[in-house]
Parts: sequence; structure tokens; C-alpha cells
Amino acid sequence: MPGYEKVNGKVVKADLSRGPVLARRGAMLFYTGQVSFRPAGGGMPGGMSGGMPGMGGLGAIAGMAGRALAGEHVAMMAAEGMGEVHYGFRGSNVTVIELQGELLQVEADRLLCHDANLQSSVVVLGSGGVRQAVRGAVSGQGLATTQISGMGSVAVLSHGGTFALPVGGGQVIGVDPQSYVAAQGNLTIDVGASLGWRDAVGKGSGEAIQLKVSGQGTVYVQASERKL
Amino acid sequence: MARFTKNGTKVLEAHLTGDSIRCLTGSMVAYEGNVAFKKEGMGGGGGFKSAMKRKLTGESLSMMEASGNGVVYLANNATEIEIVELQNETLSVESSALLALERSLRTDVAFAGLRGASSGQGLFTTTVSGQGECAILSDGPMIALEVSPAYPLVVDPDAFIAHRGQLKQSFVTGVSWKSILGQDGGEPYSLRFDGSGVVYIQPAER
Repeated sequence: MPGYEKVNGKVVKADLSRGPVLARRGAMLFYTGQVSFRPAGGGMPGGMSGGMPGMGGLGAIAGMAGRALAGEHVAMMAAEGMGEVHYGFRGSNVTVIELQGELLQVEADRLLCHDANLQSSVVVLGSGGVRQAVRGAVSGQGLATTQISGMGSVAVLSHGGTFALPVGGGQVIGVDPQSYVAAQGNLTIDVGASLGWRDAVGKGSGEAIQLKVSGQGTVYVQASERKL
Repeated sequence: MARFTKNGTKVLEAHLTGDSIRCLTGSMVAYEGNVAFKKEGMGGGGGFKSAMKRKLTGESLSMMEASGNGVVYLANNATEIEIVELQNETLSVESSALLALERSLRTDVAFAGLRGASSGQGLFTTTVSGQGECAILSDGPMIALEVSPAYPLVVDPDAFIAHRGQLKQSFVTGVSWKSILGQDGGEPYSLRFDGSGVVYIQPAER
């Protein structure tokens, strides 16, 4: 089943007859039909941190705590009803990713919208160990990443659009931390530092710190080094 | 032999087979395989003489060397990329528009004439010469304009990216008493090209 329809490079159309959609607050451009919006996740007690309407409870509180701790906090809103909603954010390019049960790792501030039936959680540095923490610190992406899994569609934001690089066969792909957008599949992301004496004296190539992506899946990279 | 291909309009793939290319510092967005990045010497790898010229002229060029085996993905600020193939000829290009070039190409600094002073781009320009491919950046899809002796071309210095071929460059001013009063057309300076060759411009003004 097709997910969101791209109106152009920067706007997606979500058909709510497929189910409710969670989107970044303020990303709604316009809608047609009978649509209601309400806050979701984050600061609302009993909200939809897990993504499932009405599935608040413990998970929601844990998610809230995780978000608050990690600084990985982008307010989301849920759209439900019958109709079509158009989403876009600050003129950023949008990439639609279809999930068929795999895991998608994406920074919260790059998330435009996703189907509400997908599970989303914040992974704090503990699970990734020290290296994950280092990655957050050097790439300026905070100490946490959002993980989305299930069956459905996700729309992510980038500057200038993304290109997908397949990862597999034991090979490692290096990605500039500023250009990294998202990783789909069973992928491990490590920080690789190839620091030498040149970097120490300020004559580095500017590519000393890279994300090393390994495993099986797809990594999405944007054609720019600009953060959103 | 290193090979350049485009991935979409904004990403350049450099295929390395044990050799090296030169590219803009910090322009790597991703790579596969075994690739090492090293900053070029102070002259952007153009040799000592070129380095001294760059120091003196302020036409800076910050390049790094990517070497090894694999594919390097290069991009800069989501601007469009065009690959230009040089056959023992010289391309004069704004140093800020140079993304990557093959090892077989040399870079140098040349006097650009008066245009630089007006457009704030300095009096000097970067030249790329030899046999091979280079990738240049353009803010928006690049436009290649043919110039022949019968049809000289006038472009806005702020939109100018590069030119190649046997071209004579001159500077046109439309400054008159109207400019002083602020009643001019807003295009007081232009670049005029005579001869035969190709001029590359971008659909945006710096």
C-alpha cells in the first residue's frame, strides 16, 4: 500500500483513511475533509508516546522521561479523521521511507511525520554505550536518536534531498555526521575518528570524524552539510 | 583511473581505483570502501609556486586529497553539480565553484582583469588545465553559453562561474550620471566575452 504521496520535493500528502498520522507540530500546511488535531507524545501525560492511540500508560511516561533526559524532544501532533493532510517544514526536502517491519533510526528534528501505528522510541546513550554518546557529542545531534519500527510510512526532512546508500556484505560506509539523515534496517552506527597529527595542528582534511555504518540496510545521506 | 559520475543533480560520485582525486575540503558526505582524506598543502596542491601566488593574491583554494579504493560521495550545500571534461585546455573558474578534479589536472592562479574588483571576487581567478575531468558547483542548474566571434556574450559577474576556450574578457560599465542618482537599471557592471568558447553561469547571483 502506498504511503504518503509526494506533491513535490518538499510537500507530502497523507491520506487519513489509512489511519491516523503523527507529525511534527506546526508542519501541517493545509487539509481537506474532517480532520482533528491533538497533541501527542512528549509533554502530554497519557499521550501517544508509543504511537498507538490510547496506548499511554507506563510506556508514555517512560518515553516522556527518555525524551526529557535526552533532549530529543520535538513536539508531535496527531491528525485523525477522514481527509487528506499536507505536510511540509521550512522548505526542507522530504524523503518518504516505507517500513516493512525494519527499524529506522532518525534524529527527532529530522522527522516530519509517520503513521501512528508505528512504534517510536527514544534510545538514550546507555544502550549504545560510550561510543554512541561520543557520536552524539561530536555530531551535535544530542545524545539520543529516535527509533521507529513497524509497518508503515515515515517522512524525513533534509536539506537538498537525500540519496540512499545500500549497506551490506560486511562493508562499512563512512558518512559525514552533518550529512547523515537516517538509517534503515539492522545497522550499527559508530563514530570513527581518523585523527592524526595534521588535525592536531589544525591542518586536518575536515573529514576526521565520520560515522561508520555497518550491517544490513540502507543509509540516507543528504547532499549538504547543513543541519536543519 | 579515477572516474566521476553524477548521482542525481547534487551529488558527485568519485570512483577511486587505487588512485587519488582532489576535492573541496569538507565536501565528503559519504564514502564506501577504503578511502583516506588528507588536507592538501597550503597551495591547494598546485605546487610551491602556485602556493606562493595564492598567498599573495588571496585567491584561496582549500582542497583535500581523497585516495584509496572505493566510491566517495561529494556534495556542497545542496548546490547543483556539473562535470566538465577538459582536453588539454584551460578552464578559468571561480575558486569557490570548484568541487573536485582529477589528479591529471593542474590548478594555478591567473590575473582576471578588472572584473574581480567590481564583483568583490578579487582580481585573480583559478585556472584548471590539462586532460581530465573536473566537477564544478552551481547554485541552481548550470547554463553553458556558447560564444562565437559573431556573437559576443555579456554576463553578470555575480552569476559567472567559469569559462573555457579562446575568449577575451572585458569589462563593461553602464555607470552614468543616472547611477549616481540611483536611477540606473541595477546592472552597472557586466562581463563581456569575445572570441570562441563556452561560458558557464549559474541562475543565481552571489
